[in-house]
Amino acid sequence: MALLELRNVKKIYDMGRDIQVEALKGVSFSIEEGSYTAIMGHSGSGKSTLLQIMGCLDRATDGDIIINGTAVKNMNDFQLARFRNKTIGFVFQSFNLIGNLSALENIELPMIYAGVPRVERRKRAMELLRIVGLEEPEERGHHRPNQLSGGQQQRVAIARALANDPAVILADEPTGNLAVNQWRRILDIFKKLNESGKTIIIVTHDPLVGEEATRTITLEDGSIVNDERTR
Amino acid sequence: MEILMEAFRSLGKDKVRTFLSMLGIVIGVIAVIVAIAIGAGTTKNVTARISSLGSNVIIVTPGFSGGFGGRTAAALTNVLQETDVQNIQNMAPDVADVTPILQKSFNVIYQATNTVVSVFGAYPDAFSILDLPIQYGRLITTKDEQNYANVAVIGNTIATTLFGNQNPVGQTVYITTGSFQVPFTIIGELQETGSKLTFNPDNMLMIPYTTASVKLIQLNGGVSQILASAKSANTALDAASEINNILYMRLQNANQYRLISQNQILSTVSQTTDVLTLLLASIAAISMVVGGIGIMNIMLVSVTERTKEIGVKMAMGATRRRIMAEFLVESMFITIVAGAIGVGFSFLIAMIVTYLASGLGLTVIITWPSIVLSFGVSVAIGLFFGLYPAYMASKKSPVEALRYE
Repeated sequence: MALLELRNVKKIYDMGRDIQVEALKGVSFSIEEGSYTAIMGHSGSGKSTLLQIMGCLDRATDGDIIINGTAVKNMNDFQLARFRNKTIGFVFQSFNLIGNLSALENIELPMIYAGVPRVERRKRAMELLRIVGLEEPEERGHHRPNQLSGGQQQRVAIARALANDPAVILADEPTGNLAVNQWRRILDIFKKLNESGKTIIIVTHDPLVGEEATRTITLEDGSIVNDERTR
Repeated sequence: MEILMEAFRSLGKDKVRTFLSMLGIVIGVIAVIVAIAIGAGTTKNVTARISSLGSNVIIVTPGFSGGFGGRTAAALTNVLQETDVQNIQNMAPDVADVTPILQKSFNVIYQATNTVVSVFGAYPDAFSILDLPIQYGRLITTKDEQNYANVAVIGNTIATTLFGNQNPVGQTVYITTGSFQVPFTIIGELQETGSKLTFNPDNMLMIPYTTASVKLIQLNGGVSQILASAKSANTALDAASEINNILYMRLQNANQYRLISQNQILSTVSQTTDVLTLLLASIAAISMVVGGIGIMNIMLVSVTERTKEIGVKMAMGATRRRIMAEFLVESMFITIVAGAIGVGFSFLIAMIVTYLASGLGLTVIITWPSIVLSFGVSVAIGLFFGLYPAYMASKKSPVEALRYE
């Protein structure tokens, strides 16, 4: 069954003075539960816009988005926030950990918003740090992001994305800011997560990252130009 | 709870900035509390001074004439008469004692020393009405009164001026009137009393009324003032209105005389000090508002700086309400802590003011309402001035906030 379905999704940015930019020109596809999809494209192809719309951070100008059986279109801001909290886990290129919170507290953040009790939160955060393979989690868990390396930060960020056991992980160039030896490990984590059943969507311009996925959707100028199963 | 911890953390990140943004509120709270405390202290001092008169004392003075169009008001003379005193004595049931007063300044000579003294001619009752205790010698008696005796009871300050440390009782002083010098024998010296409203017994020479009216202050039956006491503090108002009725019946003009009683003065004074306190406190309150604007400024900067963080939190599922609450808690945290610091410091400042101004007789009394008020206002300022920045934070679009570098 389709976990995420896009039907003729359009996004038009109004730049003022009657200038309009059509970032997505009617995109349709569906993502199966437990799949590992890469969305590829050069910068300006509309892949970031697509990620924002799939992640319910932004609204489509036209078209329907159905995630986990729920139509996103008619939700208000409050419902969208709740939906993001429970259903979507974000991983960003620049990690985006909150600087004045420790690694564990960063992971707990989505659980705080979900109203998970404190003791349970801490237990789950610790467990997630082990899943993403942060070395010495008891000690490093209390470090601030600036005391961790880029690869460690991204692993904490993945743990944070997993906090509320979301239906889908959305990763935006997750290896873009990492050294080569680090990005291999990050991709391995995604692979392992996918093998354990998580649905993963990675947005990237890097073909090497795209190779990891079992399906590649290629965008160009706001339209899908290629959609293939690579494995 | 997490919101509080988070607010504490993010404020702790830039301690100097947080401290500076607190400063306005801290100073404002101190200013408000100390201003009200000084007001309360002053009220207490003034009240104590007025109360020294005794709550049942009523003074009748002549009214003023003129005073319009730039002319100086002049006290009316020959308004009050001895007959008024008799009428009050006979017709006012709530009046205990009443005495006419003849009062005028004279040059008084003792050996080689001379000084200007307020000579005060009254019935012996005046001592009990004004509650004047004797230090040496004796008070004036009815017999002195009947005999037109040249005797005087001397106030504490003048006794020191004329006699130094010598006991004045039994000495003779001369009161100069025109080209005559009238001898008076000092029969007693008063204890120091301090000023009693319109009288300052320390600077008075008190002589029998009869002696004064015949030998020094001839007003042809007129009197300078009338002094009366009510039977008790509870009947003071009744006594005052009885006196008022008696005087009005004869004079038919309420502007010709004035009735002064402690209650009436107290209410005037408390109105005046209340207005002054309000004025001081509102000036101080302005600094709290300025502090609030400072906080709003800082919070707006903070919201802009943390745009990315807001975007991330929104992506993680923070609702707009939650973002708003986070920033609101921060601004309120600032003002609550600042308010508490202000309350603490105001006690210190009050102590310093009391110490520095001890010579001036200034008392500083910190009152509970002023603490509650200023603390409450500072919390309200945190809420009010934090609302707009928090709203701005919550209204950010998650996409744009995430893109912000």
